[in-house]
Amino acid sequence: MQTPQLLTDMANVMMLLAPSAALLCLVLAGTSLRRVNFAMGGGFTKWMFWAVIFVTLPGLLTWFGNSGVSVPSLGGGISSSWLSSFETNLSGFVQNFVVARMALVLAAFMGLRAILDVAEGESPLPSVLAAFFLLGVQTTYTLIQQYNTGTQYAISDVLASLWTYLASVIMPTAAGLGVFAAIIKFALGKPAMRLVGVSLALLCVSGLWALLQAMAQ
Amino acid sequence: MSFSNGILNLTNWVGNVILPTLAGLFFVIAVVRFSRGLAHYPSMYGGFLCLMGSGLVRALETFTRQRSWNDPDVYWVSLVTLVNWIANVIMPLYAALEVAAGGLSLASGMRIHHTSNWQRHFLSAGLCLLLSGLLRLAEYFVAHGTGGVS
Repeated sequence: MQTPQLLTDMANVMMLLAPSAALLCLVLAGTSLRRVNFAMGGGFTKWMFWAVIFVTLPGLLTWFGNSGVSVPSLGGGISSSWLSSFETNLSGFVQNFVVARMALVLAAFMGLRAILDVAEGESPLPSVLAAFFLLGVQTTYTLIQQYNTGTQYAISDVLASLWTYLASVIMPTAAGLGVFAAIIKFALGKPAMRLVGVSLALLCVSGLWALLQAMAQ
Repeated sequence: MSFSNGILNLTNWVGNVILPTLAGLFFVIAVVRFSRGLAHYPSMYGGFLCLMGSGLVRALETFTRQRSWNDPDVYWVSLVTLVNWIANVIMPLYAALEVAAGGLSLASGMRIHHTSNWQRHFLSAGLCLLLSGLLRLAEYFVAHGTGGVS
């Protein structure tokens, strides 16, 4: 039985809106980073996970096809002009309004929030990191796209590549911040050894992962 | 603009601009606390550490490069190297400092640290130089105590 054209068009609209949804998820991940919560199901991790799912959606559908589930070919043009203009307008809204303008405003607010955090006696780091993340939403999206293998395992491939990026690029830099924080804590007469140990661990993330694997064997 | 560039530049800014500036503030705090007879050592050494921030990061990076990046023992070896460096490089230097402070205290009668007399300085210097020996002694006692009291 032939799939009705309206349903195919709606499915195509959703597929074409997936990149916009991914960008939206990245903006929401940035705002969630303010309350750093790396627990599974926590704000930041949840939105990053959904961003990866939206970017790798075509690969996920391939997985269903390989499992014997009939999946109609999607990703073609939209015959309904109303749906086509709806998709164009929504994509433009996310790209031109949310990512190009709102993310910048939110980042600026996070910069201000960092100052207020210090005034309240808290660390400004979560707000500063959130501001960086919001400023780099487009770059992060491009990075996820580069990691997308397009296969049925694209989600796990992208997540694994993001883990490697985190362990090899971000964490060594964060180790430097940890050392500087330890110095300031020491100078203020507060316990600093914990931060020294954490900085060493941040420089050895891959080694610690290998250690966990060796322990589990 | 990217997240990695942001955090990298933040680290460079803190390490190369802010910490050297704060070093001056910590020296001021150290002098004021010294004048009031309060503990001034954390601020004084903190000031020095602020000026050596980048070098300390490079030192930690060197400690973690003793093994390959995916070696399960890399963290343990890094910790061992850190402990060795503190015990065999930093502590002998500190011993020399304590000897100088003890000599000055003995000769002039002035207390370099408000809680320490010259005997404590010399004893500290000896302990700094004996750290490895003290550890071996503790290991010996534990190893010979495994049989229990007979």
